[in-house]
Amino acid sequence: MALIQARGLSKTFGSKAAVRGLSFDVVPGSVTGFLGPNGAGKSTTMRLMLGLDNGEGVTTYDGVPYRELKQPLRQVGSVLDAKPFHPTRKAVNHLRMLAASNSIPNSRVTDVVNLVGLGDVANAKPKTFSLGMGQRLGLATALLGDPGTLILDEPANGLDPQGVHWLRNMLKTLAGQGRSILVSSHLLSEMALMADSLVVVGRGTLIASGKMSDFISTSNRNAVLIRVENAELMTRELRARKAAVVTEPDGKLAITGMDSDRVGGLAHELGVRVFELSNREATLEEAFLDATGASEEFRASMGFGNQGAAFGGPMMGQQGYGAQGGYGGQPGQQGGYGGQPGQQGGYGGQPPPGYGAPPPPPHDTGTSQDGSRRDGDTA
Amino acid sequence: MTGALRYEWMRIRTIRSSYWMSALAIALTFGITLLMGLSISAADLDDEFDSVDQVTTYIVLAGASGPFIPVMAAPFYAVMGVMAVGHEYRYGTNKATLSAIPDRVAVLAAKLVVLVAWVLASIAITLLLGMAITWLLLDNPQFGSHLVRPLLNYTGYCVGFAVAGMGLAALLRNQTGAIVAALTWPLVVEPIIYGVSVAISETTGGGIGKLTNLLPSSAGRRSMFDPYEAIAGFGSIEVWSIGAAVIVFWLGVILVLAAGATSFVKRDA
Repeated sequence: MALIQARGLSKTFGSKAAVRGLSFDVVPGSVTGFLGPNGAGKSTTMRLMLGLDNGEGVTTYDGVPYRELKQPLRQVGSVLDAKPFHPTRKAVNHLRMLAASNSIPNSRVTDVVNLVGLGDVANAKPKTFSLGMGQRLGLATALLGDPGTLILDEPANGLDPQGVHWLRNMLKTLAGQGRSILVSSHLLSEMALMADSLVVVGRGTLIASGKMSDFISTSNRNAVLIRVENAELMTRELRARKAAVVTEPDGKLAITGMDSDRVGGLAHELGVRVFELSNREATLEEAFLDATGASEEFRASMGFGNQGAAFGGPMMGQQGYGAQGGYGGQPGQQGGYGGQPGQQGGYGGQPPPGYGAPPPPPHDTGTSQDGSRRDGDTA
Repeated sequence: MTGALRYEWMRIRTIRSSYWMSALAIALTFGITLLMGLSISAADLDDEFDSVDQVTTYIVLAGASGPFIPVMAAPFYAVMGVMAVGHEYRYGTNKATLSAIPDRVAVLAAKLVVLVAWVLASIAITLLLGMAITWLLLDNPQFGSHLVRPLLNYTGYCVGFAVAGMGLAALLRNQTGAIVAALTWPLVVEPIIYGVSVAISETTGGGIGKLTNLLPSSAGRRSMFDPYEAIAGFGSIEVWSIGAAVIVFWLGVILVLAAGATSFVKRDA
């Protein structure tokens, strides 16, 4: 059950850098989601990790680079393409061929064919396979050597809902057995159910890595929602206490930088009648879009707080969420979004070069990123 | 390397095109041999051949020891060579292959060994059938040492085409492009160069015709001629020896293979 350590992975195509100094760990016993917008460098990173592309940096599996692994299929299973097989070679022969290269017995081929649900079509030619069946055959390939590590690029593509459910359960089961699993996917809702940890990349650089719950907690969609009688007074007092306040279209105040207990306590202290008080939790998708932007022109990296500190959790010794500066927010404001007062980086930091202009700070008037009106709007 | 050989042996055995290509090469050669055996008789000796030895060689090699009938099997073996590597790129299996066997030199070496073994087996069947037909249809055929040189060079020619096809596929990383290149070079490009060189040489009396000796496919083809001296030349062009022809042919093959191997090993998968 290998610890994957990627260090300084870089790859350029001509003058374009596809991956730049990417470092992260994937620990045994976890499903680690590998997220990033199209063109972020996920597939290139995976190819670098498997020694398929030439580039800089090194990836080790329990300290051994892939190209130095003896019988690598027994240690690392991978799926990089949707249908990587000859269309007229029987599925079982495709697996036997790969098994032969690593001295894996044919009995294991039978096992994995049944495991992925292709037992009935093992002797069929893959040209008749649907995309989902192709994905299953790819997964069978990855599982051939009963490896301790799996690297899967978009394995859920083409799977029907039952297939996605099966994949999720299988990967979680395999992780539960102590395997290290790195899986990329654009199905964020599925990833939210499947992954324990995340590696988020954008334009070839690391945006975040760590526990998924920690990643989601950094989203600016997380907020305390309150509906009160005197919103103007409440807003003024919240801001006086350095909380960020946005007025939602339905009149609620969305507050960040202060937890619901303190917000409720403040309302009580001010004698303001509270009609509703709740926490709004961001989804993985929202956190992902926050981190990478809703389009290819994603905006900035996470401005979490602790500069360069690890995020905690199982991934030790790596870049933390605050490693790349924050959103470029309110001048003079210290402390990251969700971080502790006095910490550097985070909201008050500068965006990385090339990430475009920072969005307006929360206290600005006008329309926010999600279209809601900020407090102070005159309309 | 053992794992790579097991993989490649399984690979070549589990696609139908391996069998089709070999079967077509064998069948086509066999058909030509059969037609020759039926049509050539001892009476032809006076007109076209100097000896029964030459007739025997001619029929066994399906006309390859003369200048007029091309080696029909060679393009099929070239295509087999292309497919040995070209399939990897066409169907995207190269990543799976190199994930299973990260040692690219071993992967390519295994492909080379298995391909050559497969082609040699096909040629052996072809030649045995050719000998059987010759023995059945020709009066008093002569299977002596005179057969050895044309037969070896015929075998080398076919194997060389397969190896060059493999090298082209590794170099171009495109199966269709490699097949086109493997067939176009000997069937179109070299004949054009040859014809133009000869025409210029004949017209101007210059030495440019000697350059035809450097055309690898033509050199390989010439190397199996019997008798060499009588039919290898063309007009006033000075033709190099059999040994030189063999060297030129294999230099061409090795050059293509080396270029392909370098690409296969050095470039991204």
